[in-house]
Amino acid sequence: MTEAVSGPAASTATRPAQRRRVSDFEQWRIITFHQLGHYLRTNRFYGLFAFAVFVSSLTLAFQLDAGVATVQFQQLYRSSEYLSNYLVYTGLWVVLAAALFGGDALSVDFSTGAGYYMLVLPIRRPVLLAGRYAAATLVTIAVVGTTYAFGAVGASYFFGLRAVPWLLLFESLGVAAVFSLAALSVAFCVSSFIRTPAAGVLFTLVALYVAFTTLEQVVELAQIEPWFSLTYAGGAMAAILDTDFVHVQTIPVGEDQYYYIWSATVIEGLEIMAAYIAVFLPLSAFLYQRKESTG
Amino acid sequence: MGSLEVAALSKQFASGPPALKDVSFRYEGSGAIGYLGPNGAGKTTTLKLLVGLLRPSAGRAYVNGIDPMERRKAALWDVGALIETPEPYPTLNVHEALDAVGRVRGLSRDEVDREIDRCHELLDLPPLGRRVGWLSKGQRQRVALASTLMGDPTVLLLDEPTSGLDPAERVLVRQLLNGLKRDHLILMSSHQMLEVTEVCDRLIFLHQGRVLLEDRADQVAERIRPRTVDVEFEHAVRADPMTLLRGVASEVILLSERRWRVRFDGSDDARVRLLALCQQAGPVTQFANSTLVLEEAYLELMPKSASGV
Repeated sequence: MTEAVSGPAASTATRPAQRRRVSDFEQWRIITFHQLGHYLRTNRFYGLFAFAVFVSSLTLAFQLDAGVATVQFQQLYRSSEYLSNYLVYTGLWVVLAAALFGGDALSVDFSTGAGYYMLVLPIRRPVLLAGRYAAATLVTIAVVGTTYAFGAVGASYFFGLRAVPWLLLFESLGVAAVFSLAALSVAFCVSSFIRTPAAGVLFTLVALYVAFTTLEQVVELAQIEPWFSLTYAGGAMAAILDTDFVHVQTIPVGEDQYYYIWSATVIEGLEIMAAYIAVFLPLSAFLYQRKESTG
Repeated sequence: MGSLEVAALSKQFASGPPALKDVSFRYEGSGAIGYLGPNGAGKTTTLKLLVGLLRPSAGRAYVNGIDPMERRKAALWDVGALIETPEPYPTLNVHEALDAVGRVRGLSRDEVDREIDRCHELLDLPPLGRRVGWLSKGQRQRVALASTLMGDPTVLLLDEPTSGLDPAERVLVRQLLNGLKRDHLILMSSHQMLEVTEVCDRLIFLHQGRVLLEDRADQVAERIRPRTVDVEFEHAVRADPMTLLRGVASEVILLSERRWRVRFDGSDDARVRLLALCQQAGPVTQFANSTLVLEEAYLELMPKSASGV
C-alpha cells in the first residue's frame, strides 16, 4: 500500500539547522574524540593509570634506595641496559590496557543501550569502529607512555641525561604503539563476537596474556620458535634497547644437545604485530558490520 | 519530504516463531503513523529493520528510498531514531552526548549549539553540564529524544517515545510530536492510546508479526462502536443504576454520586435507550464515550490473550 500521509508540509517553518555532508574521515575524527572523552573519564582509566604510576614509582623508589652505584653495576653501567630491563614488562601494561579499553569496545553496542544511541546515526560501522580503535590506542599509549616516562627519569638520574639513548627510547615507544594496535585488534575482534562486556575484557586478558604466554612456553619446550605469538613479538619493545641482543640463545644441555631460547628481533616483532593487525582488525570490522541488535 | 517503505518484510530469529511476516507498507510526505500491537507483535523489530539494526530474513526496508543494509550512511542521513532505551556514555555530559550526534549528522559547532538550545526549549532538557550517568530515567529519555531531533531529520522513528516520562513530560512530548508531524514523517510505536489518539493520523495494527489493519485513524474510529459511556448527572442520583438500566447495560460502575460508567453492547439502538433511561433518572449533563475509541479498536482487533490492556 502506498500512502501519502499528508501533502506538502503544512508547516512553513524553516529548517533550523543547516547540515552538510560529512566525510567518513571527519566522522572518524568526531567519534575518536567522543570515545576519548569517555575513556578518559572511566574508572578503569583512572585505575590503570594510577596503578601504572604506582608500580613505576615503586620500582624507582627501590632503585633509589639501592643507590646509584648498585643500579649502575646491575645494569652493566649502560643506560640502554637499564631501559631494556625496565621496559621488559611493558607488554603487560599494553595487554591490560587493550583488554580494558578494547575488550568491550564493540560489545557495548549489543549489550547496553549505547548501541541504540550510536548505531542509529548516519555513520558506517567500520568508521565507528575505527574511531573507537583510535581512541583506545591513544589511551593505551598514554598508560604505556607513563611507564616510559618513569623509565626515562630513572635512566637520566642513574646514568645522566646525555647517556640516555633518546632515539632508541622513542623507537621503542613507536614499537609499543604498534604493539598496542595489534593487541587492540585482538581485543576488538573478541568484543565483536562476545556479547557480554565483562566476558570480553576477561577473554581478551586470558587470550593475550595467559594463553599466549603458556603457548610460548610449550612450543619453546618443543624447540619451536613461537613466531605466532603476539606477546613474543612484544619483546621487540625491550629488544630495541638491548645492546647485547641475541635472537637465539643456544644453551648446551649435553653432548651435542642444545636448548634454544628465542627472542623476537625488532623487524620480526613488527612483522608479527602487523600480521595481527592485518588479520584481526578487518575481521572485527566484518563481524561488527554483520552483528544484529537482537537484545 | 521523507518516505518509509517496507516490502514483504519478514524477520525470523534463530529460535521462536517469526517476529515479522510479510509486512508491507509505504508512506511518504508528512504525518504521524501509529504502530500498534501487544508486546512481541513485531513493532520494535520493524523499526530496527528500518535502521539496519537487524537484517531482514526476506523482503526489504527503505528509508527515504534507500535500503539501510546497502547504504547505511545515506539511508540514515535524514532519520532520527529512538529505539528501545538509547544510552549515551554515562561519563559524558548532556552537551557532549548531543554534540557528537549533531556533528556526525553534519552540523557545525555553532549549529550544534543552536540545535541543543532548540532541543532544550522543546524538551526542557536537564542541565547541559550534568553527566548522563547522573540523570533520572525521564531526563535520559528526554536527552535521547533530543538526540533524535538533532539536525532536524525529516523522518522520525520512535519506539515508545514517552516511556519513562512523567505525565507532564508526556504532555510535552505529545505537543512536540503534534508540531513535528506537520513537516516530518513519524512512525511511532506506542502502548499509550491517548498518545496515539492525539498524535497519529494513520494506524497500523500488528499482531504476531502480521499487519491486522492499516487505515486512517478516523476511519478506524468509525469502524469501532465504543462499548462504554460515562454519564454525568446534574445532581446525585438515588436510583439503583442496574435496576434503572436493566436490559441495556451489562455493567455500571459508580465513579461518584453524579457519575456512572456504563458498559453496553455498543449498538446505536442501545445507546439511544441508555440515554433515555439516564434522562429518566435526572438531568444529564454529559453522555460520552468513556474509553478512547482507539483503545476499543485495539481491544476489538487483538485476540484477548494478546491485547495486553
